Amino acid sequence: MKLAPVDYFILALYFVFVLGIGWRLRKSVSTSGDFLLSGRSVPVWITSLAFIAANLGAQELIGMSASGAKYGIMTAHFYWLGAIPAILFMGLFMMPFYYGSKARSVPEYLKLRYDEKTRAFNAFTFAVMTIFSSGISMYALGLLLRLVLGWDFSTSVLCTAAIVLAYTFLGGLTSAIYNEVLQFLLIVAGFSPLAILSVMKAGGWSGMAARFHQMILPRGMSGDVMVHAWGYMGKASENPMGVELFGMVAGLGFVLSFGYWCTNFLVVQRAMAAESMSAARRTPLIGAFPKMFIPFIVIVPGVAAVVLSRMGIGYNLPLKNGGFDYDQVITTLMAKFYPAGMLGVGLTGLMASFMSGMAGNVTAFNTVWTYDIYQSYIRKDAPDSHYLTVGRMTTIVGVVLSIGAAYLAQSYNNIMDLLQLVFGFVNAPLFATFLLGMFWKRSTGHGAFTGLVSGTIAATLTWGLTVAEGKGGVFGVVHTFPSTMAQNFWIAIMAFSTCLVFTIIVGVMTQPKKESELEGLVYGLTKIPHDPNAKWHEQPVTLAVLVAIVLIILNIWFA
Amino acid sequence: MDLRVPSGWFFALLGVILLGMGVFAPGTRADLTDVNVNLYSGAVMLAFGVVLLLLARRATQKG
Repeated sequence: MKLAPVDYFILALYFVFVLGIGWRLRKSVSTSGDFLLSGRSVPVWITSLAFIAANLGAQELIGMSASGAKYGIMTAHFYWLGAIPAILFMGLFMMPFYYGSKARSVPEYLKLRYDEKTRAFNAFTFAVMTIFSSGISMYALGLLLRLVLGWDFSTSVLCTAAIVLAYTFLGGLTSAIYNEVLQFLLIVAGFSPLAILSVMKAGGWSGMAARFHQMILPRGMSGDVMVHAWGYMGKASENPMGVELFGMVAGLGFVLSFGYWCTNFLVVQRAMAAESMSAARRTPLIGAFPKMFIPFIVIVPGVAAVVLSRMGIGYNLPLKNGGFDYDQVITTLMAKFYPAGMLGVGLTGLMASFMSGMAGNVTAFNTVWTYDIYQSYIRKDAPDSHYLTVGRMTTIVGVVLSIGAAYLAQSYNNIMDLLQLVFGFVNAPLFATFLLGMFWKRSTGHGAFTGLVSGTIAATLTWGLTVAEGKGGVFGVVHTFPSTMAQNFWIAIMAFSTCLVFTIIVGVMTQPKKESELEGLVYGLTKIPHDPNAKWHEQPVTLAVLVAIVLIILNIWFA
Repeated sequence: MDLRVPSGWFFALLGVILLGMGVFAPGTRADLTDVNVNLYSGAVMLAFGVVLLLLARRATQKG
């Protein structure tokens, strides 16, 4: 792919705008709360888009289009079965506790609800995870830019990291959030023309379905599996993901997605920055609307790429070591469909997705490090200005550590698999801890901690005792999964169930907190806010019902 | 800061650049495109940017 001067100009224009926004917002930072929490003053439409954008990192874009080409429209389960129901649950049922508890972070909620050790466990694992996520994302981008444009890996990684550092250092969380919105819009602008052009060229969706119907995929399956999200879910051997219905619904739809969207501070932080309780609850619900349609711009081009490669019109799926290199699908499509000018916008969109993902990780790491680790265990009673300085310094440290993680990630091959593995070990048991914490007042700190530790152990054991596509099985082989995807989903299911059981057993055996200490933290002891003056379209329930209706239509349409 | 102002300017500028490419270099095509991609996407981006700027202006006039 060759870039024209106009493409470089567009990229430069984007850099000027993100840095400009950071520069303008530098004056809004005078306390640690401004820097790390946005002073809880961001308008709801901004937090909603940032909520979605922080998750829409480069590895998501590259990974989802890769999975689109590999597994077909089934990949949309990550959105239509996974993310959206979890987001609805979070906005309707969990946000009142997060926002109402006045906790400044998710680990701090655990401290208020349970105890110190549960918070410490969550804070440390989360801090490590954000650094790795950010590093993996950086690695993915550096690799892609080297392959596609021939840019030097280190130069592109260091330059983009420096820009993210500059604007988050200047304006803190507010700057990260504001830029995430601009980045989200740019991702949509840069990628949706590609979806339209590639699908049109492949004969429209119905034309694609007809071609797939007559196609035999490399693994010997009928091409029909590529255009059905639910039709081939009955048996693991019948669909390209190699996952059966229960593993899909329970593993991805319930444990992994709820674990991610309801407890991951990276996304929850965006909602917590909203200006009021009502806005905080509406943030995920409003964000769910654009989220539902993201599969069309990230997954569908990947599906279309498979058809295009069989039409003999000069498009071939990218190859690597004799197999397909699906991670390059989106950029090879861009090279074939985008002329100079639009190509610049598409490439800038890719950069934007990388930056929004990275800034999300860095700002979440900042807050957890400063409040949950530094202020809790290193220096307790310093003046606020001290924590502001620590927050700013942590931004630099976070970026530097991410760069280190990016170089470390070079030794791993499949980005999505690695991410799923990390989520399985750390996030999956977490949702059980929060579910019991928010809805069962008998659950205790000792119970939660035992649950989390045993859940993480269960995840590790499941991974170590089973094998899929030659992965796992380091402690022996008890079971063989048809795919690593199935293995990951089952790791999550085992971790969640173990955590749930142990939290309940130990909870019953230990002394619960007094009810007066749990006000605002647990269902039944918290006044769920109800605003009778809110207009119908501002009511969380109305928004949730609307999202659910569209979601059901999408699932049926692509069944 | 009203975020609609910088976002509006950004997309309006992008729109003008692409629209300009579409009008003055309509022959700029990629291998597989048969339409003037820059022209159409530029027009949409310019319109979107202008709408954001108008919304921001209306908000400042109101209050």
